[in-house]
Amino acid sequence: MPGVYFTTTEFLDDAKSAAKDRGMPGIRTIALPADKYYVARGNKQEVQPIVDQFFDKVVDDLTRPLTAEEAKPSQIQLLHEDANIKVTGKDFIEASQKVNEMFLDSRWADGLPIVPPTPELVKAMEAGTKRSPDEVLGHVAPKAGTATVEKIAVNAVMAGARPEYFPVILAAMDGFLNKHYDLTHVVASTGSFTPVVIVDGPIAKELNFNSGIGMLGIGWQANSTVGRALELSLLNLGQTWPQVNFMGLTGRFEAYTFYTFAEDTAKSPWEPYNVSQGFQAGDSTVTVSSAGNPSVYGGGAVAPWTAQGVIDQMIGQIKNRGVAWPHAQKHIIVLHPDCAVELAKHGYTRKSLQEYFYEQTRVPFERLTNQVSFGEGSEADFIRASVEDGRIRPEHAQIFLDNLKPGGRIPVVQSPDDFHIVVAGGSPGYDLVFTYPGTNWAHETVKITGATQTQAGR
Amino acid sequence: MNRNTSWFLTVALAVSGLCLPSTASAQVALEVMNPRGEIPPPKTLGISARGGNLDGKKIVLIDNGKYGASNFLDALADKLKQKYPGATIVMDPKPAAQTITDLPKWYPTIKQQGDLFVFGVGD
Repeated sequence: MPGVYFTTTEFLDDAKSAAKDRGMPGIRTIALPADKYYVARGNKQEVQPIVDQFFDKVVDDLTRPLTAEEAKPSQIQLLHEDANIKVTGKDFIEASQKVNEMFLDSRWADGLPIVPPTPELVKAMEAGTKRSPDEVLGHVAPKAGTATVEKIAVNAVMAGARPEYFPVILAAMDGFLNKHYDLTHVVASTGSFTPVVIVDGPIAKELNFNSGIGMLGIGWQANSTVGRALELSLLNLGQTWPQVNFMGLTGRFEAYTFYTFAEDTAKSPWEPYNVSQGFQAGDSTVTVSSAGNPSVYGGGAVAPWTAQGVIDQMIGQIKNRGVAWPHAQKHIIVLHPDCAVELAKHGYTRKSLQEYFYEQTRVPFERLTNQVSFGEGSEADFIRASVEDGRIRPEHAQIFLDNLKPGGRIPVVQSPDDFHIVVAGGSPGYDLVFTYPGTNWAHETVKITGATQTQAGR
Repeated sequence: MNRNTSWFLTVALAVSGLCLPSTASAQVALEVMNPRGEIPPPKTLGISARGGNLDGKKIVLIDNGKYGASNFLDALADKLKQKYPGATIVMDPKPAAQTITDLPKWYPTIKQQGDLFVFGVGD
């Protein structure tokens, strides 16, 4: 069916890249001037001059006969990315600088210095796992680049990771590449969403992950380089680049290391988070989860707080956001140990706290809007459609349907389990809520296995 | 020597030790591995044939749901009706929250409704 695709000048490279990725490089695309369109689009009269400007082009693109290349484009070829590269310099420093310049010019690096991934260092990284270098973990969005153990090892070396971290990195990549995980959204969206990476179980202590004061900051090699290894792996295996096909408008606030930290299982009053996800006590796991930037709660070192006050503030803000994408929304609630202990003293278990969040964040039917965020229709219609097509799973459907009436209270998530409660932070500390308003599932916990250089995760 | 110092020395020695003397000059060569993975090529397809003019055609304007796209397509619809009164304009918004993975199920409904389509505005 002949057609024309509209985008804007800022997204033209992205559109062309996506068209090629899907095998139709010749799609006729019209780029509206971004500096005019985004200001005018809220009003039909204001956008009319742009329609007038491009009208003849629309008609032409819908009717102009195809060129030979448009009708039968050349077959896109397999990209071979296996050849090693030799770089020369007058000494090691110059050669290393040239590697860094060449990698950045090729869009293989992130702007910070990298460790040159020599075959010997990559082999040393691979020795951190029992998994074969040739094992294919999956294909990384958006371009479906093949993720082998060896290629991930190359990126882990570049990031400065140690071989003993490698099983954690591989397990995290297994999570991203799970068939249910919507990786395209987090690597490409204008929303600049950021992976949250949570290491749990005995391997966290053995590898010296920080779970206390400064857990999201600098100074801990495990937190920093595991996160950066994932960042570089997604960049290079999915082949994304800012302003080309990663269109995060601000860029990620934790761009280089993601939000990577460990749960403080020693200070938590509850079972480890991974046990709540079905793993055994003593298992080492890593959780990867797409999220927005966190909201911060509590008094830290400077203001009074109560545990009940903290969670009620969180609930108030979550509830105020209303119902949007309840089939996929989730919240990662990071409580600092003092707050978690206080809640436990008040009788909360992790399970009862999840249920409290679920019940207290339900939104009155009267607050549903007549316009969903994207597309046509009301929020109530959208929820009904989500039940019908199974995005709201059958076991959770009835409570949504029963409450779509005056006096009803609609859940903001499918289940209490969509409130993920993790204990980490200092004493004193703050409490965080990472919210994900995506339209698809993007949360996986994976058991760490195959380690050769640690007692845990073998 | 602590564990961190040991690892950094390992990296430094491993890298510097691989700076091999190059030919007769005093230069050294550093061999590094490519960090990218192979991309299986998609089957490459041409776009649909077209020709003639818009008279008598059914044109489906697809609103992708992004803010303001409906205003743009409404204005485009008005202009198409004015310039091509023989054409039929069909407005078909993308269903709410359809995702990339859901879209293939929806494409056939577009084809049933018209002869040509305009999709926008993408970002």
